[in-house]
Amino acid sequence: MKKNVLGIFILLVAIFVITAVINPKFLNAYNMQNLIKWSSLYAVMSLGVAFVIITGGIDLSIGSVVGLVSVVLSICLKLEGMDPWSAIGITLVLSLGIGLLHGLLITKAKVQPFVVTLCGLLVYRSMGRWLTDNQSIGPMPYEEDAGYKNLEQIQGLDFLFSGKIALGSFNLPTPALFILVLSIAAAVFLRRTIWGRYLFALGNNEEGTRYSGIDTDRMKILAYVLCSLFAGIAGILFAFELDSVQPAQTGEFYELYAIAAAVLGGCSLRGGEGSVLGVVIAAAVIRLIYNSINMVGISTHLEFGILGLVILLGVIGDEFLKKAVARKQAAQKT
Amino acid sequence: MNIKKALSLSFLTYLLLLFSGCGGENPSAVEKPSDTPTFAYVTNGIDPFWDLCAAGVRIAEKEFGVQCEVLMPPKGVVDQKRMMEAMLAKGVDGVAVSPIDAENQTPFLNEVGQNTILITQDADAPKSDRLVYIGTNNYKAGRALGGLVKKAIPEGGEVMIFVGRLEQLNARQRRQGVIDELLNRPMQKLDQVKFDPVDASDLKAEGSKYIVLDTRTDNFDKAKAKSNAEDSMTKYKNLKCMVGLFAYNPPACIDAIREANKQNQIKVCGFDEQDATLQAILDGNAHGTISQQPWEYGYESIKMLKSIHEGKQPDAQYFELPFLVVDRSNVEEFWAKKKEMAALGKQQ
Amino acid sequence: MDESSSPLLEVSGLRKSFPGVLALRGVSLHLQKGEVLALIGENGAGKSTLMKILAGVQPADEGDFRVSGKKVSFRNVNDAMDKGIALIHQELNLCGNLDLAANVFLGREPTKAGLIDESEMRRQTEKFLSQVGLNLPVDTLAGSIPIGKQQLVEIAKALSCNARVLIMDEPTSSLSQKETETLFEVVKNLRSKGISVIYISHRLGEVKELADRVTVFRDGENAGELMQDQIDHDNMVKLMVGRELSEFYDRQVHNPGKPVLSLKDLRCPSYPQHPLSLEVSEGEIVGVAGLVGAGRTELLQTIFGVTPALGGSLEISGEAKEIRNPRAAISVGIALAPEDRKQHGLVLPMSVRENSSLPSLQRDASRGWLNENAERTVTQNAVKSMKIKTPNYEQMARFLSGGNQQKIVLGKWLAMSPKLLLLDEPTRGIDVGAKREIYKLMEKLAGEGMAILFVSSEMEEVLGMADRAYVMHEGQISGELSRDQLSEKAIMNLATGNLAAA
Repeated sequence: MKKNVLGIFILLVAIFVITAVINPKFLNAYNMQNLIKWSSLYAVMSLGVAFVIITGGIDLSIGSVVGLVSVVLSICLKLEGMDPWSAIGITLVLSLGIGLLHGLLITKAKVQPFVVTLCGLLVYRSMGRWLTDNQSIGPMPYEEDAGYKNLEQIQGLDFLFSGKIALGSFNLPTPALFILVLSIAAAVFLRRTIWGRYLFALGNNEEGTRYSGIDTDRMKILAYVLCSLFAGIAGILFAFELDSVQPAQTGEFYELYAIAAAVLGGCSLRGGEGSVLGVVIAAAVIRLIYNSINMVGISTHLEFGILGLVILLGVIGDEFLKKAVARKQAAQKT
Repeated sequence: MNIKKALSLSFLTYLLLLFSGCGGENPSAVEKPSDTPTFAYVTNGIDPFWDLCAAGVRIAEKEFGVQCEVLMPPKGVVDQKRMMEAMLAKGVDGVAVSPIDAENQTPFLNEVGQNTILITQDADAPKSDRLVYIGTNNYKAGRALGGLVKKAIPEGGEVMIFVGRLEQLNARQRRQGVIDELLNRPMQKLDQVKFDPVDASDLKAEGSKYIVLDTRTDNFDKAKAKSNAEDSMTKYKNLKCMVGLFAYNPPACIDAIREANKQNQIKVCGFDEQDATLQAILDGNAHGTISQQPWEYGYESIKMLKSIHEGKQPDAQYFELPFLVVDRSNVEEFWAKKKEMAALGKQQ
Repeated sequence: MDESSSPLLEVSGLRKSFPGVLALRGVSLHLQKGEVLALIGENGAGKSTLMKILAGVQPADEGDFRVSGKKVSFRNVNDAMDKGIALIHQELNLCGNLDLAANVFLGREPTKAGLIDESEMRRQTEKFLSQVGLNLPVDTLAGSIPIGKQQLVEIAKALSCNARVLIMDEPTSSLSQKETETLFEVVKNLRSKGISVIYISHRLGEVKELADRVTVFRDGENAGELMQDQIDHDNMVKLMVGRELSEFYDRQVHNPGKPVLSLKDLRCPSYPQHPLSLEVSEGEIVGVAGLVGAGRTELLQTIFGVTPALGGSLEISGEAKEIRNPRAAISVGIALAPEDRKQHGLVLPMSVRENSSLPSLQRDASRGWLNENAERTVTQNAVKSMKIKTPNYEQMARFLSGGNQQKIVLGKWLAMSPKLLLLDEPTRGIDVGAKREIYKLMEKLAGEGMAILFVSSEMEEVLGMADRAYVMHEGQISGELSRDQLSEKAIMNLATGNLAAA
């Protein structure tokens, strides 16, 4: 597990160094702040989907949940003038509810995760567009909006979710604190509680885990609830970061970034494997690649191509590593 | 051992791509002396329209001896923000951008404006601190497009409007121009245009022979654009004219009409200058189109940035680019000009 | 060397290892033309591995192969088929949606001008089917005929490839008495035509009836050979287990206490039409015998709540319980060591520690936090009491031998101190040494008052270990045998539905 994280960490450092050598401006504080900010935002989603991938499932609806949550949050804050903390509460309950629904459909109605969450992807996207007539919206109210009376509080939230904390000359983006707290919580949950252990066990062998007297259905539901909750938190962060929510586009495609980061970070889509640190670093690698492409001046049309190749090679490298570890263990026989 | 091989292989590939990127496409990127001004031209998406703009950028780049990067965000606001941030980090001397969501992006645009010269082009963000907006008067252009529709179906009838997104101000202005012209409403001032609701349907007015049935959006999904056109033919038997507001809309409408064999019943009027649109005008399958002469966007944007960079403040906050009405009478001449521009752009 | 004097097939010095297991440690075997050679041995002795190597399914690590005296190698299935060796699989490999002719010639269809020559294929198929005594239309769908006849079709298929050696792996494990008799006729008939058969079976009675010679494997080595006149039950068992039977199954007389499990008219979802009733008491070891597919595994799974009962009553220590899932079963003191250890018993990619502690994690946790001390204690106890051989507690279960894997399964349940232990094929795929340890453990647990119900397809195991046995046939309990009634014949009669003779 630790070697696994080491591989992806070396990748991060290597791209970092190469980019810095080619364009030293890459290292300036402003760029580092942006890099940390974007990495944190995407890592939140990736962490969420890691729970599901560890159980051997998949969640394709993350991007649409991000979109719907940011739409609902903006409506509550800006148009409805709702109490800002209640609005945050509503969006979190909404994302929990979505996760619960996914979990129940998958475990009780026995629909495949791919199908459930694919339908979710379509439904939530369309709900967001319908709620707003497909018009852009944002969480920050203007004078003519009902939410203007809460402007101060909303500005407070804006600082909480997308502000910067001055540390000397360096301004630390607040999303970095979110990912710090969330990843510690996720790591403790996965490694120090029985439920974390159950998630790994069920991802490796669902039947065997059930035969050991574990309510595997409940654990799976938990994984989907956590995944959607993290997507919801990401939705809030994105809404405040961009101040602009396009119902048709915000969050589109993000599930694939999240899944890519989880896989690059050592999760196996077959289930049963994954580490929080690996996923967070992998999310950072993906953002770093984007930034590096811009900083070096490669055509932006090549972004996806380079990203795809790096993920593919990273995963292949990971497979080699796993085989080497397995050989070592096998050789360790009595 | 294998893991090390695989990892080093991936580094090598990455390195290769990095160097091929800066070596092949843009050899001047690293070598040019640092006193050459560098500008970024940021679009709102990926489209042939922007390629023509890029041609203008390249022409200006040569003419004024500056260095430019053209950035096309593939996925909306997030990518646009990310790319502009990277440009700031690189320390460009100016940015010309077509904001995707002008109103809500304002705080970020101001942040950009504090760090470099910021101008908007194609679409404006009037509340931001941008120094100047270079653009077509989209309301006027919309009215001109309405005039084309009137010529196409002088006897009047039902009209549908197709557009990528109505979140953009320019799209709304164009649409309003078309509607106002068709319903014989008085001319409005560009910065005070009153809009009909986005889902307004069956718009008509006394003394006008025209009915604006509906406005359908497709979010830049070309397949959706075509199926929107198909669906409208299914739904409205008496449809007389389709109006496509974004570059790819007229060709989508023309395609749908041709496949339904209704060339004689339904006319098409459009915006911009895709080859398919021009060909259809030549063949008589479309009545005409309004061209913004996109190369002018790229050219004028860089020219403006350069002049501001040299300390010359713009005369006004709005630089109006003239548009061109293209119909059968001038289509051949216009098409030749477009080809010439595209070729010039590619030389860089 | 003269061809007629050298054996048709000769193998020597054959070695094969899998991760964690040395399956074959230099075995040898020879086969004459027109001979039926029985290959016997306990589970895990290496019979199936040898057969797979001969059929070209797996390569050998090293070894010398000769066909009619000529040195050859078996790299893949085609190689083996070229040499006339065909394996009739334990699980039949027919495509149920194709007809018999298509199945017999699958992959070798005769063609004419690029198209399948249907008439030729049918004609040939009829010929081969008649050789195995099957009078069925060649356009019958393979899936529509009973399993015994499917097996004959497999043999016909082998004959159509000019097979000179047929390897039959447990061919009668799911056949009825009558089907078994038919199969024997076919085998004897083939022998008279000069075709050789390697016959693998656990059923010593069948071996005695059919074999010209017996080769015995034990723990991947040759344990001995019996010529026709030496073949009898005691000799075979002695070679298989390596000592006298009474020594291997070290049994003491138990005095059963109060009933722990009693089923009254329990209906399993697999055979809901047959109500099942049985009882297991404290300190009692009760066997469940029967053919493969008789519903024994399903019975254990229903008791354990994997496939909850549809009706009837289940009492634990006199109290009626409804068991809807394994969790409920565990909470009333039931544990199951399942037949499919890798799928159901263990989480293979997890460590010895994580596997041993899986059922007891929740009990030992406080508010959901893992109790690492308790986890270590549970693992330590399991490794010590079960004598699990592992380099450390973090070793992945996947890399342990079958015997050690089974010990982890037992160890993890003993940490839960169950009242009733359900064992499904407890010694499948385990070497003789580990087997003996597991028998000793069963004996010890019963001595401490645990009730044990075990399912086994190994005749010797039921005969050796059970205080009492139920025999199942097609979903029903066809009989109950007390210790002094237990015999191979009595079990086989009940297991094949031959009730009158029991």
